[in-house]
Amino acid sequence: MVTESCFFRTAETHGSVSCVSPLFQSVKCQQQHVSGSPAVPMFSTLKDRVGEVLLPGDEFTCDTDDTISLTEHVKPEKVVCGPGLRRSGDRLVVCKSGVLRHKQPNVFWIDSQQRRYVPAKGETVIGIVTTKSGDVFKVDFGGSEQASLSYLAFEGATKRNRPNVQVGDLVFAQFSIANKDMEPELVCIDSSGRANGLGVFGGGGLLFRVSLGLVRRLLAPHSEVRSDLEQLFPCELVVGMNGRLWVRSSSVQQTLIIANLLQSCDTMTAPQRRELFRRVKQGVL
Amino acid sequence: MKDTPLANCERDFLLKAIEEKKRLDGRQTYDYRKIKITFGTDYGCCFVDLGRTRVMAQVSCELVAPKENRPNEGIMFFNIELSPMASPAFEQGRQSELSVKLNRQLERCLRNSKCIDTESLCVVSGEKVWQIRVDVHMLNHDGNLMDAASIAAITALCHFRRPDVAIQGDEVTVFSPEERDPIPLSIYHMPISVSFSFFQQGTYLLVDPCEREERVMDGLLMIAMNKHREICSIQSSGGIMLLKDQVMRCSKIASVKVSEITELIGKALENDKKARKAGGRCGFAESIPQERITALKMEESPVEMMDVTERANDIVQKAEAPPQTVPSPVVPVPGVGQVGQGLQNTWGLEDDDEEEEEEEENGNRGEEQEGKASKMEKYEKEESRGGDVVEISDSEEEEVVILHPETSDKAPVNTGSRSSSHQKGAAKSKKK
Amino acid sequence: MEVCGSSNVSLREFGCEQSLLSRPDGSASFIQGDTSVLAGVYGPAEVKVSKEIYDRATLEVLIQPKVGLPSVRERSQEQCVRETCEASLLLSLHPRSSLTLILQVLHDDGSLLSCALNAACMALMDAGLPMSCLFCGVTCAIDTDGQIITDPTAAQEKESRALMTFAIDSTERRVLMSSTKGSFTVHELQQCIAVSQKASEKIFQFYRDSVRRRYSKTLE
Repeated sequence: MVTESCFFRTAETHGSVSCVSPLFQSVKCQQQHVSGSPAVPMFSTLKDRVGEVLLPGDEFTCDTDDTISLTEHVKPEKVVCGPGLRRSGDRLVVCKSGVLRHKQPNVFWIDSQQRRYVPAKGETVIGIVTTKSGDVFKVDFGGSEQASLSYLAFEGATKRNRPNVQVGDLVFAQFSIANKDMEPELVCIDSSGRANGLGVFGGGGLLFRVSLGLVRRLLAPHSEVRSDLEQLFPCELVVGMNGRLWVRSSSVQQTLIIANLLQSCDTMTAPQRRELFRRVKQGVL
Repeated sequence: MKDTPLANCERDFLLKAIEEKKRLDGRQTYDYRKIKITFGTDYGCCFVDLGRTRVMAQVSCELVAPKENRPNEGIMFFNIELSPMASPAFEQGRQSELSVKLNRQLERCLRNSKCIDTESLCVVSGEKVWQIRVDVHMLNHDGNLMDAASIAAITALCHFRRPDVAIQGDEVTVFSPEERDPIPLSIYHMPISVSFSFFQQGTYLLVDPCEREERVMDGLLMIAMNKHREICSIQSSGGIMLLKDQVMRCSKIASVKVSEITELIGKALENDKKARKAGGRCGFAESIPQERITALKMEESPVEMMDVTERANDIVQKAEAPPQTVPSPVVPVPGVGQVGQGLQNTWGLEDDDEEEEEEEENGNRGEEQEGKASKMEKYEKEESRGGDVVEISDSEEEEVVILHPETSDKAPVNTGSRSSSHQKGAAKSKKK
Repeated sequence: MEVCGSSNVSLREFGCEQSLLSRPDGSASFIQGDTSVLAGVYGPAEVKVSKEIYDRATLEVLIQPKVGLPSVRERSQEQCVRETCEASLLLSLHPRSSLTLILQVLHDDGSLLSCALNAACMALMDAGLPMSCLFCGVTCAIDTDGQIITDPTAAQEKESRALMTFAIDSTERRVLMSSTKGSFTVHELQQCIAVSQKASEKIFQFYRDSVRRRYSKTLE
């Protein structure tokens, strides 16, 4: 059997960490960061705890020195904090339980196993069209309200040439507007007007739900889960950041196997997963 | 809250898979999901896990007057609660079509099949009988709620023990479990419901549909049967036309499933009996699966009491001592009492809308309006006296205590502030 | 008033399981001795127009008794739990959405409200809702001799002269909510608060241990 690699429709730049995402806010610490300074900079306290499990209410403080030397150069320290970390005054407060992660040079976030999706601009999701009203489609993406998707936001769509979208269809779309105070908006084109993998899809495949943590693990560059999966069957996989996965393979049986394997990945360590994948491969082939 | 809509591709895929005799979780057409039966700490409490569907049944009893037309029969009452925990589509306290359907089916399955000896529940004919109440709570909905509910209900009934009673003349004594061992119900047989879902107008048939299969099915057939192969109730819904053969085939499958499930229930009851006899702990604490990483247990642990007393003492000592003298009440005018003179009361000085609100409230009660009018008058009078801070007792007060006038200028400050803050709190809660 | 004997001041064996239900966005069961509560959270989800709040999420708490329909007792407990959750959740981050917390009583053997609070906190954490701090519930009973009993059983509750339940926050151990029954002195109240604060440390450590255990497999 020829093992060809999986085809991913998701752009990898929308993986787990992207500094452009509005989920990340930057925190500047106006503090002295000179070697030999008694003040403990926030950056290093954060870095010390990377990989640890943190709970809401845990804090990081900038122990700023009261006396700022006038002679020495004061270098502001910048920390970019992502989901799960919030700035409150001069402290950094954890607001979700999970593992503290770090990305060079100064990005920190909390990796949690949430199930409910909260939209963020630029993320790509799998949505289900629920209604057609006037010139927008309403799309359910598992969030707190439905997103609107203009019929013009498809590749090659014009007022005359409407895209063929039916109620109940799956769309792979990107958030163009997503903030807590506004109705979220989706588009199925990139900035240059090309589809680039976005649009209506879904014939012959299975849609299922996994935790948001697993989705991020799948989308991370050099994802281990993904490379393990690649060795199994040739399959087509669409990964929505909202925890929805869509998979299509050559047969119903294989599609079901992949769906069940992925759903069980959440609570397995890497060796356990590899062992399971190996067994499945032997059992099926 | 709405449920997630079902995408067209899901529907197509499911139907295609069913045509190929494949199911989402790898089961065969006639397979049940894994059934797990656990018991709670007290008698008559049973949990059933059917795959990821989870229900809880609790049986309770009460002495009531019997129904007039059946003076020497106990009463059975069934209630299926579709808790919003089970699915976002379920709403609290609303009788949905599904809940009516499930309740009716459970009643037909367990009450109308006469599986419980209701005559043995009679205490004094025509006066006192036991009412057995079965509450079934849906905790997680992943399809086939009916079968899970029927298993949970009958198992809970088998597990239940009612208190023993003694009759002496007209007096009925109910014994606590310590005084006399409670008595199990007498159950003749155990009807169990088995659900079949039909697809493509009855071409395909599946046993124990899961939630997504239920959403694409065309019709449902529920057969309640006991292990003696007696059909206790049969219900077809969804409006599909079934052939005689299909129903016969389903009843044959049901008889196999029922005998399997009955055996399982028997074993579960046996195990629980043994565990209780051995005096070991039983119930939820023991049912937590220790091997899961999502679960954790901690042994009984004492709380460090090192400096608790000191701290408490410290706080108490540091706290401002309450005033020794109770402020004497002030009566500015007959009919109005006041205690303490602290912060300026905002009553009557508050913004207009607040007052309107009060007025509205008072408008509903004619008597109070009068009182208020007079108070307003007084208020003006007091104002004209100049300088004095005036407080008028809450107009909401139903009873007005008339107190003897007395002057008290040395009323402590903190009590006043406390009372006014209390009033503010009250006002807030009223607004809610 | 004398100091309570330390023998009574202990927490019963307690346990917790997170994410045990497949449908809710977050779920947890919490067990204290024989008392047990199951909690499920949905949200942030679509909100009914009538309940929509423009600048924060609408939190709804439902307590389901084991037998019969919810009564006044459940309503008052719901309010206690709701106010505690509102104090710790950052509701303004999800305006115009609904959070629904459902608590199912599985067995009541005393300290039910504190068990409900603990289950609620674990479920909210499991749902990944933003919180400024965690909270836990501790119940103290004062018996007729003036002894303080923490985490009392139903029998101990019945014999007690006063019963107090506190919700305590994890950052500064402040009292977020208190619900009391019976009569007691100021000194006793302060002592109970101090005891509860002590006991809360144990519970918060337990929270940390169970979350750590849960993420143990993703700590690659």
